[in-house]
Amino acid sequence: MFKIRSLLVVFVMVMVIGLFLFTSGASAAGKTVFIGGTMSLTGPYAEDSAAILAGFEDYVKYVNETKQLAPWLKEKWPADVTIELLWRDDELKPPKALSIYEELKAKGMLVYRISGSPIALALMNKLKDDHVGATSMASGPYLLKPPKTIFPQYPIYTDEGAAFGEWFLKGWKEKRKPRFAFLTADSPFGRSVETPELKAYLEKIGIEVVGSQYVPMVPTAAPTTQLMWLQQNKVDLTFGCMINPGAQPTIKEAVRLGMGPDKAYKIIFGFALPAHLQVFVPAMGDLGNGVIVAGGYPSHWPTVTKEDVPGIKFCNELINKYRSGKTVAHVMYPHGVVEAMIQVEALRLAMQKTPLEKLKPIDVLQNGFYKIKNLSTGGITSTPITFGPNDVEGIDAIRMQQVQKGKIVELGVYPTRHIY
Amino acid sequence: MGSGAGTFQENYRQDMAIFRTGLQWGLLLALLLLLFISPFFVSDRLLTIMTMIGISVISVHGLNILTGYCGQISIGHAGFMAVGAYTSAILTAKLGWPFWAAFPSAALAAGIVGLIFGLPSLRIKGFYLIMATIAAHFIIIWVILQLRNVTGGGDGLAVPRPEIAGFVFKSKASYFYLVMIFACLATYLAVNIARTRAGRAFVAIRDNELAAEVMGISLWSYKLQAFFIGCVYAGVAGSLLVHYFAFASPELFPFMDSVWYLGMLIVGGMGSIPGAILGAVALKLLDELVTIVGPILSAAVAAQAAASLALITRGLVIILFLIFEPRGLEHRWVMIKAYFRLWPFSHQED
Repeated sequence: MFKIRSLLVVFVMVMVIGLFLFTSGASAAGKTVFIGGTMSLTGPYAEDSAAILAGFEDYVKYVNETKQLAPWLKEKWPADVTIELLWRDDELKPPKALSIYEELKAKGMLVYRISGSPIALALMNKLKDDHVGATSMASGPYLLKPPKTIFPQYPIYTDEGAAFGEWFLKGWKEKRKPRFAFLTADSPFGRSVETPELKAYLEKIGIEVVGSQYVPMVPTAAPTTQLMWLQQNKVDLTFGCMINPGAQPTIKEAVRLGMGPDKAYKIIFGFALPAHLQVFVPAMGDLGNGVIVAGGYPSHWPTVTKEDVPGIKFCNELINKYRSGKTVAHVMYPHGVVEAMIQVEALRLAMQKTPLEKLKPIDVLQNGFYKIKNLSTGGITSTPITFGPNDVEGIDAIRMQQVQKGKIVELGVYPTRHIY
Repeated sequence: MGSGAGTFQENYRQDMAIFRTGLQWGLLLALLLLLFISPFFVSDRLLTIMTMIGISVISVHGLNILTGYCGQISIGHAGFMAVGAYTSAILTAKLGWPFWAAFPSAALAAGIVGLIFGLPSLRIKGFYLIMATIAAHFIIIWVILQLRNVTGGGDGLAVPRPEIAGFVFKSKASYFYLVMIFACLATYLAVNIARTRAGRAFVAIRDNELAAEVMGISLWSYKLQAFFIGCVYAGVAGSLLVHYFAFASPELFPFMDSVWYLGMLIVGGMGSIPGAILGAVALKLLDELVTIVGPILSAAVAAQAAASLALITRGLVIILFLIFEPRGLEHRWVMIKAYFRLWPFSHQED
């Protein structure tokens, strides 16, 4: 017993010594540049983050091997510079994300990555003060006013909501105004879509905004009360930010209550990316009929069906080449590739102005991120990506996709209204 | 006093002293000196970690008084931190109060809310009290989310950096000093609270409520006092946390943090002031170590190896401590000291 107890003490001591050894590790030797940042491999975003991480890992290997940014891009990565991926699991906890940020910054990271809304909200002012440009899975309107230094890869949630409203009105036949409610996750991510600007825009185009209902990020009970509220208030369409672990049980319960476009109570449920029909449809099948996702990635992922989507083909090639037969079917894999591509492009552009040895985060922000213009993602995103000092929303169009007969159907592309 | 055969107290003053020998005083001063000069030689990251540890130490001291000394198990501690955090945030950001006025108000508000949620402790205990404190956490967070106009709801609230007499605690080093001063003060107060009449009453209630009541200890008064003091500590920690981030958000106070604060007490040693410090330091450092090991493990084994690694490791450490060292690191420290006190004539335990 004494030995076991002593082992515990030894364990704690090793832990402390280990920490100091690891943290004292120097930054990369030679001409190496880091990309990456935090991933939320623990918590509700774990599944998405694991796929994003795989995308980052494979893209780094590709660029180091070929010195190309993508098969369809002519720009070359400097032959003498190696990219290294640095990442940590932040558990979606802001205090942990803060110490990770300090660690990676000390290691010499010139670009950064934000894993989700709680981290973006907590770190956005710090990143701005430090002039560090960052890519992000979070795409809340809070990044826009005033423009911060976080650059999302898909449209801002409020713009996705506006596009959803426009699409709905095209098919609206009744004389009365359609009644709209937010049905969204009870979290900063979910609530960030519910802005006065979006409400005003929807009212302006002829939609009556009734109110809001909130569902836990990952519900532990069916959201019956929230759905019944929609019925009682005669709501015709809803929109919100939910991840699939929240959207799926919500829609299942709606179907049970007879709610849907082809059910007794007619209603359309819309979600902003990062709800993914590519994950939602295989799990839900026909139960998901009518559900819309605004701002999504190509509907046929992971299958390469069209020659005009080189980005999807590229992602499949990366998986086949670097994953030795272990496929990554999650749609956030291409998202990870795009995020990595943006970080690499920002660094490449900045290195054209300033040698790597003298490069500072502010150089990468001003001569990198802000100078990214029409960066083609091979069709992974709905438009090429353009950033600027007052333009952190890089995408200018929103893909609209719907589940019909258990399959994803493209409904067209809608313009980004920049309403926030 | 201080003879080769041991340390003997010869008067009440010596008997009541916290530090009894010159060596103890020397070690304390050396530790404090090392702590306060550390910003001159540690990295920004370590400074951030130490600041976070300082905030956790304050919070865990509060939980230690409530749970470790008084035996009232609370799993709503992060919620009480949120009360202090938002009180301070609203007073400084919305009403323009200075930090020095908002800060004690935050502590007081958390204490009062703690009193309210402590009321059920007069009728319920054990498992049922745990459920009541869990409910307290969710009610507090729900209220914060609903009062969007005041609290910013899920979007959060920008909070100014603390400013005292024109000095803004903006740099990492200055904030580290602010936190460490409060952590030391919190430790000093906790040590003394445990030695007061109230502290002894807390221990009596923890050990046997019925016996304590028979001896004339007012359960009503002392249980509420424990809740009040514990939550004042939580309020202080919460306020320091949001001013450090310059941002208040409900996401800073997840429910699981309450569980981990309890875990820190288990690892450090319940009902012990050094235990609260050791537990907070050990679990926070473990967290940081796991964060660094995750990517290495992921590269060596599989990408999934890093998923939820911190949760698993923390849980495992707590289980191991519950089985093999339920009295925590503090007891180990006492054993190590005892070993060397008798050295070279040490005895084998068990």
